[in-house]
Amino acid sequence: MQSTLAPLRLAGLAVTTGPVERDFLQDGIAAGQDPVALERVARTVGLRRRLVAAPGQTALDLCTDAARRLLAACPVEAAAVDAVVFVTQTPDHAQPNNASLLHGRLGFPKSTAAYDLALGCSGWVYGLHQAAMLCAHGGARAVLLCAGDTLSRTTNPRDRATDPLFGDAGTATLLVRVEGGAPWHFVLGADGARARVIEVPAGGARAPRGSSPWEERTDAEGNARHPGNLHMDGAEVFNFTLREVPAAVAEVMTLAGWTEPTVAALVLHQANRFVISSVARKCGFPPAKAPMDLVERFGNQSSASIPCALVESLGPRLSTESLQVVACGFGVGLSWGATALTLGPMTIAPTLPLASLA
Amino acid sequence: MNPTEEQRWLALQAEVDALAPAGLDTVLASLPQWDSLAILLVLTHAEQAYHRPLTGAQVRACRTARDLVALLS
Repeated sequence: MQSTLAPLRLAGLAVTTGPVERDFLQDGIAAGQDPVALERVARTVGLRRRLVAAPGQTALDLCTDAARRLLAACPVEAAAVDAVVFVTQTPDHAQPNNASLLHGRLGFPKSTAAYDLALGCSGWVYGLHQAAMLCAHGGARAVLLCAGDTLSRTTNPRDRATDPLFGDAGTATLLVRVEGGAPWHFVLGADGARARVIEVPAGGARAPRGSSPWEERTDAEGNARHPGNLHMDGAEVFNFTLREVPAAVAEVMTLAGWTEPTVAALVLHQANRFVISSVARKCGFPPAKAPMDLVERFGNQSSASIPCALVESLGPRLSTESLQVVACGFGVGLSWGATALTLGPMTIAPTLPLASLA
Repeated sequence: MNPTEEQRWLALQAEVDALAPAGLDTVLASLPQWDSLAILLVLTHAEQAYHRPLTGAQVRACRTARDLVALLS
């Protein structure tokens, strides 16, 4: 679907990462892998360092920290926040949802609505669209969008194809309704027929935890996982990305009437360097306009990766000037969301790791 | 003019480092670096050089390097 919403402004962004540093080469060597082969993967895919949550820390904790810091730094009154939308695949509980828990932690008034969206790597764009609708058509003055996951906990340490990919982070995005401004454009889509290409098969209502033993199996490449682990069919995810993302990016740019020279940056979900460089090339963007070094510093941060890339790659510019930015998230669902946004000047909080719990 | 089998093979080898030590009749499973990353590199090469989207299953089903080259023709 296509959607155009106005008038809106992004008031600020904040990112809180996990505090624990993991090193792809050291972890692989400790797992008995060949250093030469590891270096080859590190170079091609762009895996170096990632930051994961400490024991006991959840996406709710990471997002709470980001939201507190953003609200303290933003010249928007917390009392004007009429809704909290929380995007996550790793909530604290099956019930209640993370948005309600964050609502309580931050002491929002009862007139502030709170709900979750269950999405991963495409989730920030979907969440932004949801928040923008609440402001443009729903009467909200400001909406706090939180997006984050702790996917590093969902993978099997003996699955060397999936486990080294993920970092943990929580983000806060504050959106406000304004009097005038450039419209925001969105293109959202899904391919539910291929939903099982990225999945955690067990642990939900269909196969509840404890209903049958979670048997660990090793695949032909020697990677082990059980039904409670996250599994991705890498080749199929790659094909899905190259098939859908360039088309969605082209569609949203047509909707906005933009061409590549008028766009300051193409901010793609930071899956990995290999995927981003392939997609940017197919979208007709030079590599310098498509940030792709985030994965080497943070890992794949799921729905937190686009806000993190905005802060880390464009933060100094976004805090002082207005930029036309195209962003696209893609992943579990399978789902994708592309958006053409006019952003800035805005509050950019420094990216910080969450202190470990004592 | 369509590229010959040998031209397609040399172009593929240049893009997929796991295939560097191989010949056309090499069994892919015998290559130490024939893994999920190598399969991704084959998919990218097929897409970029031939605008031909292949599936991971098609690539995994290949026994020898010659089977891979046949997918690209």
